[in-house]
Amino acid sequence: MKSCCNKKHEEIRSPLGKARGLGSSKSGFAHWWSQRITALALIPLSIWLLINIQYMFATSHVQATTWLGQPMNAVGVILFIWLSFYHALLGIEVVIQDYVPKKSSKTIGLLFARFFFVLLGFMSAYAVLQTNFGVDNISFVLDDMHDFPISSK
Amino acid sequence: MAEFTLPKNSEYKNTKGKEHKASTEAKNKKSFSVYRWSPDDDENPRLDNYEIDLDKCGPMVLDALIYIKNNIDPTLTFRRSCREGICGSCAMNIDGTNTLACTKAIDECDSKKDVQITPLPHRPVVKDLVPDLNDMYAQYASVEPWLKADSPAPQRERLQSPEDADRLNGHDGHGPAMCILCYCCTTSCPSYWWNGDKYLGPSTLLQASRWIDDTRDEATGERLDDLEDPFKLYRCHTIMNCTSTCPKGLNPAKEIANIKKKIAERQH
Repeated sequence: MKSCCNKKHEEIRSPLGKARGLGSSKSGFAHWWSQRITALALIPLSIWLLINIQYMFATSHVQATTWLGQPMNAVGVILFIWLSFYHALLGIEVVIQDYVPKKSSKTIGLLFARFFFVLLGFMSAYAVLQTNFGVDNISFVLDDMHDFPISSK
Repeated sequence: MAEFTLPKNSEYKNTKGKEHKASTEAKNKKSFSVYRWSPDDDENPRLDNYEIDLDKCGPMVLDALIYIKNNIDPTLTFRRSCREGICGSCAMNIDGTNTLACTKAIDECDSKKDVQITPLPHRPVVKDLVPDLNDMYAQYASVEPWLKADSPAPQRERLQSPEDADRLNGHDGHGPAMCILCYCCTTSCPSYWWNGDKYLGPSTLLQASRWIDDTRDEATGERLDDLEDPFKLYRCHTIMNCTSTCPKGLNPAKEIANIKKKIAERQH
């Protein structure tokens, strides 16, 4: 029989103390709800995008970029990118929380996932905008922003 | 916290267990492979095989276990009490499914194979078929499963309409109040296996839902506050093992969905 002094802290603690733990974080609803809402929104968006991509296989590069140049198409694709990456991020976060036991690895994993998907999302959105406005136009817009008093200070 | 390594002497290494044969005169024979582990020796778990004469034994798996204990091997350890599916003591894994040994008929088991009996999965084993459920009882206590009301107590009992009572008992007798706390559901849930230290599990959440929907209770908001947590509640990924294994035919998954719905309701 082990003496009590050899027991780990967690073994000495009462089961009720362990069960209550740090208490409720009073959050979790937004995460759960967002995952469902984005899933719902992605149904029509994915169908729309798949139908259009299917046509794009038979078209030239110019025709494809022209299609993406239409305002509603560009908005649709950016929405798809934003929602699918956000949905994927929420899902990955749950997987990390479920299966990564070590606290430090878990925190690093969660941070990395967030950085990765935000970076990927912005890069993809930039690609769509670039197709729409062209490289020169984008640079022009950015140059213009430097002239704003707020951004220059 | 997910833990993928097992404690010392807990892994089943296909060790050949003891064989007990029925008498040659027996006509109606059936074999039971039963999980054996004792904290008193340094051995790993094994499956002992008991062949019994069904003509000398009652119809349920629990009858077979009692027959083994009384006539073949008195060292076999298991919990049992009411033998009619109301106390929840004899919950164990029979032929790969968590259920109550007292309500599971031997006839219902696969006739071609030995009946395999192991303790409720993913719990520390006290001995043989007895799992340690202390943490689960504490989780149950943590949701404060009693009526909470600030209004002064009336002269007689606090009233509830028959419809409101029906919600708890179920119009078919399968409402959340019929849960016997056998923990077949909780120990069948993979999410509970990985995060059982923080996730409350289907059984406790079903009980929490029972008190949230009790119209006599005045602490609904407080109960929802305490459950809104990524781990306590939202570790449920609607795997539904709980509902498919419940030996009482209850629906813990639906009760967890009820709590999520109530939390959503107060946001809008």
